[in-house]
Amino acid sequence: MDILYLLIPFSVVLVLLIVGVFGWAVNSGQLDDLAHEGERILLDEDQGP
Amino acid sequence: LGAADADARLLAPFTTWPEGPDGAALSQFQVAGMHCAACAGIIEAVLLKLPGVQAASVNAASARLGLSWQPARIALADVFAALQAAGYQATPDVAAPARELRRREKRQALWRLFVAGFLMMQVMMMATPAYVAGAGELTADLDRLLRWASWVLTLPVMVFSAGPFFSGAWRQLRAGRLGMDVPVALGLAVTFVASTAALFDPGGAIGHEVYFDSLTMFVALLLLARWFELGARHRAAEALEAVAGALPAAAERLNADGSTERIPPEALRVGDRIRVAAGEAFAADGRVVSGQGWVNEALLTGESAPVAKAVGDAVVAGSLSVDGGFVVEVERVGADTTAQGIVRLMQQAQSQRPMALGLVDRVAAGFTATVLVLALAAGVAWWWIEPSRAIAVAVAVLIVTCPCALTLAAPAAWLTASGTLARRGLLLADLSALDRLCTVDTVVFDKTGTLSEDRLQLRRHWAQGADADALLAVARSLAALSRHPHAQALAGAAGAWTDVREVAGRGVEARDATGQLWRLGAPAWVSDRPDAAARLAFGCGDCVLWLDLAETPRPDAAEAIKALRVQGLRVRLLSGDQPAAVSRMAHQLDIAHWRASATPESKLAALRDWQARGERVLMVGDGINDAPVLAAADVRIAMGQGARLARSAADALLVSNRLTAIPQALALAQKTRRVLRQNLAWAALYNLACVPLALTGWLPPLAAGIGMATSSLFVVLNAQRLAR
Repeated sequence: MDILYLLIPFSVVLVLLIVGVFGWAVNSGQLDDLAHEGERILLDEDQGP
Repeated sequence: LGAADADARLLAPFTTWPEGPDGAALSQFQVAGMHCAACAGIIEAVLLKLPGVQAASVNAASARLGLSWQPARIALADVFAALQAAGYQATPDVAAPARELRRREKRQALWRLFVAGFLMMQVMMMATPAYVAGAGELTADLDRLLRWASWVLTLPVMVFSAGPFFSGAWRQLRAGRLGMDVPVALGLAVTFVASTAALFDPGGAIGHEVYFDSLTMFVALLLLARWFELGARHRAAEALEAVAGALPAAAERLNADGSTERIPPEALRVGDRIRVAAGEAFAADGRVVSGQGWVNEALLTGESAPVAKAVGDAVVAGSLSVDGGFVVEVERVGADTTAQGIVRLMQQAQSQRPMALGLVDRVAAGFTATVLVLALAAGVAWWWIEPSRAIAVAVAVLIVTCPCALTLAAPAAWLTASGTLARRGLLLADLSALDRLCTVDTVVFDKTGTLSEDRLQLRRHWAQGADADALLAVARSLAALSRHPHAQALAGAAGAWTDVREVAGRGVEARDATGQLWRLGAPAWVSDRPDAAARLAFGCGDCVLWLDLAETPRPDAAEAIKALRVQGLRVRLLSGDQPAAVSRMAHQLDIAHWRASATPESKLAALRDWQARGERVLMVGDGINDAPVLAAADVRIAMGQGARLARSAADALLVSNRLTAIPQALALAQKTRRVLRQNLAWAALYNLACVPLALTGWLPPLAAGIGMATSSLFVVLNAQRLAR
């Protein structure tokens, strides 16, 4: 079970990376309007969001 | 003078001058950075210290600030700077900056919630082995590694996600006020420090227990509750802005020399002429000076059918020109326009702090002080009984007694209910009206403009020795050319008439294709021998068509009155009109109690008489000629018609003109009261049950965290039931 000594710190780093990616997504506005995203496929290209 | 003028222009969109231009100004702001009810008190205290500020009232639930101040004595920038120094950002409450503020607030809240929630899951995973491992299964090294991992993952939660609690608590302490952030921050800090000490020095006085899992979960659940609260607040704000946002971003002004220029609506002055093309919105209230066409006033009336407008008609800011081009002379601008009047009424309702809310605030402060003393006493007592558990007990007491649920209970319920009513076309100007609506047992309706539409309708037509239906068709084609309400009631497709002439107070006359002169108007003007039963006549010489016009009830009036009666309410009709017309309307709508030919004085006397007999009266009127009667009623609802409603003294405005919203509002008021009571009962019961458990040490911090956060969630989610 020695591998755990590597995997646990590794998972901690991975989690912090995921949090960082999510932060980038939120702050670049990707989650601002979730309801609209689902309807966007029904719009024509030129109508825009 | 130039600077003062520019300042006044700057203030115009969000400021009113209730005491005239030399008196104090009342400005509305949106505040970011507020986390709890106690922040409201801090902001008020900061503002009241400024010179020139007379009063400040902050509604914690809607994050709005109403400031009564003298712009001559202090600049707006200084007000903002003072708020900034205290840790809050304020923006003038006109739609766009507020929306941007909301967007940032929402992103920030989501980001904090995600960090707390995601790391909570990871920390729990790290903590699980310690709970489930049998004796000797988990080596000391591995246990230590897992704890270290938990600690690393808890750090961002404490520093970033829980940041608002700490900064909020610090602000409250500095202002000498106890809010709910203080016990939360204290609980978090004590738990984290105790767990960290246990991690670094397992053999120390603190013991070796770590609580990183309950700590992160506590923060995550607390942030989740706040996320829901944020959503409710933002939805209420958005409902308001749907009204405010209908104003165009620019207006096209016609200059005296015939040129045009595009200017922002704030720069418009009374008397300016603006051009509005088809498809554009009117930037200000005014009167049409040229052009005609259809205008959509859905913003004000909720009525989707467009209204015809011609020279001389009033148009309202925010309504939309559907097909015609207009030139409009501006009569009201900025905060004086009808649309802004409605928005301001709503904002004032939301920034005025309801009485019960103030009470909850005071209770929370006293409550927090008691809790701090209790926690300290429990910690000291347990130090003597069993030192290793002293900190755990004190922490549990601090966490479990967080008064979040208590402070969230009332505003969550009221804000949700008023948002729901706004969607149904009933704008609440006074939140306390929700509470008063619960006691109402009599509904008094005015007739004209309330139960009936303003429009008249043809009831009967007859002719002597001629084909009445054929004549009616001709009459309709002439009526289309007149703007009189009676003619408008008849109007059909316009016919080929020449020499059309409108005679004031009489009617309209015109020549047909054969050159004969026809008249449509007062019976005595059309014929020498007028028929007493007719209200209008149409004819040429001896060939006369008699017409009788009548008011028609609104299409949903019967349904609304039936619904009110099902709810056990007494329905009365009080009208100044002729008995025949009133009795017909009462009969049509099945109203047993009606009174006709009432003057404003006798209406007021009748109302007072009913009140003396113990009835609690809801009066529904059109807001202008009923004003004194409305003012005397227990609850007042005014029909939303045009510019006058901004000045009316009503508790609520029925802008959609759908009468069925009234029984719905009554039902919702009852439901709101039930929800509020459930919320307060839950908060009280929960504290009564948990505090003794925590004091005696039977409640671990984890259970305390779950209990506290679920009680906040329960209160907010319970209030969300009112949104349906």
